[in-house]
Amino acid sequence: MPPTEATARTDERDLLRRMRLVSLLEGATLVALLFVAVPLKHIAGHPAATSIIGPIHGMAFLLYVWMLIQTVSGADWSRAEIARAVIVAFIPFGAFANERFLKRKELALAGSVSPEGKWDTSG
Amino acid sequence: MGYLWLKAFHVAAVIGWIGGMSVSSVFIAVHVASSRPLAAGESRMIEIVRAWDWKVTTPAMLLAWALGMTMAVQAGWFSSRWLMVKLVLVFGLSALHGVQSGMLRRMARGANRSPPTFLRYSAPAVLMAIAAIAILAVVKPF
Repeated sequence: MPPTEATARTDERDLLRRMRLVSLLEGATLVALLFVAVPLKHIAGHPAATSIIGPIHGMAFLLYVWMLIQTVSGADWSRAEIARAVIVAFIPFGAFANERFLKRKELALAGSVSPEGKWDTSG
Repeated sequence: MGYLWLKAFHVAAVIGWIGGMSVSSVFIAVHVASSRPLAAGESRMIEIVRAWDWKVTTPAMLLAWALGMTMAVQAGWFSSRWLMVKLVLVFGLSALHGVQSGMLRRMARGANRSPPTFLRYSAPAVLMAIAAIAILAVVKPF
């Protein structure tokens, strides 16, 4: 028997919550790479920093892209939303904007606001 | 951890990942081929395949990534062309697995949209990709 509507919504919300965490992890490792490891390598002459943080960010980026593919394949995201979620992964501190966007989608599933951030009064 | 231990766990993780993807591939291909609504037993089957995907296939994939990345860093393979080609195939397999996971979730919800037709060919695609990956990793031809 298919799960109830409420169970399916809870599943989607859990997925979006995990996606937010992975997005923050990806964003934090990108910031650490660009603003800590790269200056340490080129200014302070410590190349070990990039060789440690680089692969960690690589893993976090891969996980984020995989989570995004998994999330959009199982839901109905618009092309603009997908493009936005991809672009922010390349922008330092973009993950923090993404966090708010994903939180809004999560709340929209709970029925309180629409993904665009407007209050949903239809329900 | 020694190289051989890393390699052994990496190969074991890849087997778990690809085995799980093969199961999902065949299951989704059967669903794509059929246009009739799901029977009660099939819905239960979707839940079992989904649970396997979440509890076994996905952790195996993450472990394969982590161990593979560790080996590549330790051995200094990131400048090798064979690894670059292998990574492209790994990204492709990971993306396909993401699509499969999403589709299984959609199917479990009983959503109306049927899976994309290209997923019908995912089982042979997975096998061809893993064969190419095995050759690249073992022979390291370039």
